[in-house]
Amino acid sequence: MRILHLYPDEMNLYGSYANLTVLTRQWEALGQTVTVIPVKQGDTVDFTDVDLVYMGAGTERARDAVLARMQRFAKPLAAAVAAGLPLLFVGTALELLGQTITAPDGTVTNGLGIAEFAVTQTATRIVGDVLGDSGLCGEPVVGFMNKCTHLTGVTTPLISACRLGFGNAAEKDGEGWRKGNALGSELTGPLLVKNPALLRAVTEIVWNYKEIPLPETWPEEPYAAAGYAQTVQQLTLRANGG
Amino acid sequence: MRLWLAIVICKLGKLAGRLLGGRGSSLPGKLALKICPDVLSRVKLPPQVIAISGSNGKTSTVEMVAAVLRAAGKTVAYNREGSNQIEGITTLILGNATFGGTVKADVLLMEADERYAARTFRYFSPTLFAVTNLYRDQLTRNGHPEWVFDALRPAVSGNTHLLLNADDPLSSCYAVGHDKVSWFGLEAAVAAFDAPTGIYNDGAVCPLCRAPMTYDFVHYNHIGGYRCTNCDHRRPTPDFAVTKMDLESGELVINDEVSIHLAFTSIYNVCNVLATYAVGRLCGVDSDIIRQTVDNFVLKNGRLVQFTLGAHKGTLLTSKHENSVAYDTNLRYIRQTTDPCTVMIIVDAVSRKYFTAETSWLWDIDFDLLNADHIQKVMLCGRYANDLAQRMTYTHLPPEKWCVCPSIADACEQLKAAGDEHLYVATCFSDKGKLLALVEKEDV
Repeated sequence: MRILHLYPDEMNLYGSYANLTVLTRQWEALGQTVTVIPVKQGDTVDFTDVDLVYMGAGTERARDAVLARMQRFAKPLAAAVAAGLPLLFVGTALELLGQTITAPDGTVTNGLGIAEFAVTQTATRIVGDVLGDSGLCGEPVVGFMNKCTHLTGVTTPLISACRLGFGNAAEKDGEGWRKGNALGSELTGPLLVKNPALLRAVTEIVWNYKEIPLPETWPEEPYAAAGYAQTVQQLTLRANGG
Repeated sequence: MRLWLAIVICKLGKLAGRLLGGRGSSLPGKLALKICPDVLSRVKLPPQVIAISGSNGKTSTVEMVAAVLRAAGKTVAYNREGSNQIEGITTLILGNATFGGTVKADVLLMEADERYAARTFRYFSPTLFAVTNLYRDQLTRNGHPEWVFDALRPAVSGNTHLLLNADDPLSSCYAVGHDKVSWFGLEAAVAAFDAPTGIYNDGAVCPLCRAPMTYDFVHYNHIGGYRCTNCDHRRPTPDFAVTKMDLESGELVINDEVSIHLAFTSIYNVCNVLATYAVGRLCGVDSDIIRQTVDNFVLKNGRLVQFTLGAHKGTLLTSKHENSVAYDTNLRYIRQTTDPCTVMIIVDAVSRKYFTAETSWLWDIDFDLLNADHIQKVMLCGRYANDLAQRMTYTHLPPEKWCVCPSIADACEQLKAAGDEHLYVATCFSDKGKLLALVEKEDV
C-alpha cells in the first residue's frame, strides 16, 4: 500500500499526521505493507501506483503556498481522482479542492477545481465541537471545527447535517465533502483517530478500490472505542442543551 | 466626570470582590469600561509602561520583573492575578489610579493576552513590549500561531521598544520594519540539540517567504538557531544572552558575566529568567540588583507545587493543556531527573474556561520522552484517560509501564497504598485542583 502524504512539514496542524498513523496501523494489522511517501517543496509528484492521497490541516498562509505549488500537478491529480483514486484532505486542505478561494480583501484565487464548492475566507475564526451523522459510516461523527472560511455549494457533504456545531457554511449545516472515493472534512480530532467507524470506512474505500476482499474481523482498538464513546456522550449532552 | 465615575466604580468593585473573598480582577474593569469605554486613553500613565505577552512564560516573567523593579526601589503596579485582557488591565490601571486619573506607580507592568492585546493597546502604547514566544497554544481558542501573530501585530505601535526572543522564528518577525528592537536568546554554546525536536516542526518553513529553513542548533522543539534558505530571516544576535548553562547544577551565566542559580532547572525557567534580566536592564536596573533578585527565585504563581502523598514526595508541574511545547518541556524535565519515579498525567477538563472534547493536541506531545528507565510507571487519569491511552499505544513505552485510571481519587489511593518513589504530576490549571485536594501541599 502506498500513501502519498502531501506537504507533511507545512500541513501539520492539530495532529493531522495521526490520521495516517492510525490508518497505517490498521492496514498493517490487516496484513498489508504500508509505505507513506512524503511530498515536499520541489518534489515531483507521480500518482501511478498510489493507493491514497492525503493532506492535513495547515495555516491559511501554508494553504495558499501549497496551492500555488500544486497547480503544476492539479490536472493529473484531478484525472486520478476522477478515475477513482482515494483521496482524504482534512482541515484547510479540503479548501484547496474547490473552484475558488476568496480572501478577506476580495482577492480570488483558483482552487484545484476537483470539487464544486467555493471558499470564502472570513475575518473571524469559527471554532467549536461538532457532532453529526454521515452516510459513510453507521455511527455519529465527532470532531472539532477550527477554520476561518465558509464553503458554499457543497452538494454532497460528508456529514449530512451537524447536530452540534458549525458545518460548511452555517451552524448545523452539512460538513465536509465526498464524491466517489474522494473525501474531505475540516474537522480536527484528528478525524480518523476520534472516529473508529470513519477509519474503517476509509479503509473500506481503499480496499474496494484495490479490489481486496473486506476483512471478516477488524483489528480491535479498545482505547479508541472507549475514547470515542466518551466524546459522543459529552457532545450529545451538549447538543441536547446539557 | 465619566472618568471619575469609572474609577470610583472600579475601585468599589475591586473592594467588593475582595470582601466577598473572590479575586474579582476583571469584573470591576468591565463595569468601568461600560461607563467610559475609552477610559484607558484618559488616564495618566507612569513614564514606564511595560507589557509582556506571548504564548508561554508571561505570568512567571511578570512576577519576576515586578520583584526586580521593586528591588530597584521602584513602585510597580501589575496584574498579579493574571487577568490579562482589557477588562483585567482596566481593573489594574484604575485600581492604582487617583480619583483624578493618575496612576500612582513608577512603573505599570502588564501581562497582556497575546490574542486580545490589540484591544487594550489601541488606547495607549507600552514603552517596552516584550514578546516571550508564539507557540501552538489553546488552538481551540487561538486557531494557530500565525493567527495569533496577526492578532497581536496591531498591538505593537511604531514607537514602542520591542524586546523579542531571538530563538523563536515566528515572534521574531515583529522586528520586520520596526526601529527599536532588543533581543534575548540562548547561545549556541548552551544548545542541547542539532535539529528540531518533538512531534512537529513549526520551524520547517520560513514564516516570511515559506522556503525551507535550516537550523544550526536547537534548544527545544523549533526554538534555536534558525536560518531561511531563501531570504534574510535568521536568528539575530541577542543583546541579552545565556552564554553558559548547566541544568543539572542550575547554574546560568548571562552575557558572560552575570551568574545566577536557578531554583527550578527547567529550560522554561531559563528563558523566563533571561527575559526578566533583559527587561530589568532595559529599564535601567543595575545587573547586580537583578542577579540578587532572580537568584534562587521561587515563583509563587502555583505553577510548580511540591506535595506529599503517602510515602511519596510529589511535584506538580502545571502544563497547560492544549500546549504541546509546555508539556514537552515538563516531560523533558522529568526525563532529566535520575531517581526512580512515577508520572501521573491528568486530562479531565480540557479547559477551565470553556467546554471542549478536543484532544488533537495530545498527538502533538512527545510522550516518548517518558520512555526512560527511571520512569517506572505512567498513570493516565481523567475523563479523557482513554484518549491518552490511545495516544500512548503509538509510543515506544512498554504497555506494562502505563495504566489507565480515569478516577484521580482512585489513582491517588493506589499510590498512597504502596511505594515511596517520587511522583510527578503533569496537568493543567483546569485539573490541578482535583489533585491538590487529595494530597498534602508543602509550603514554599
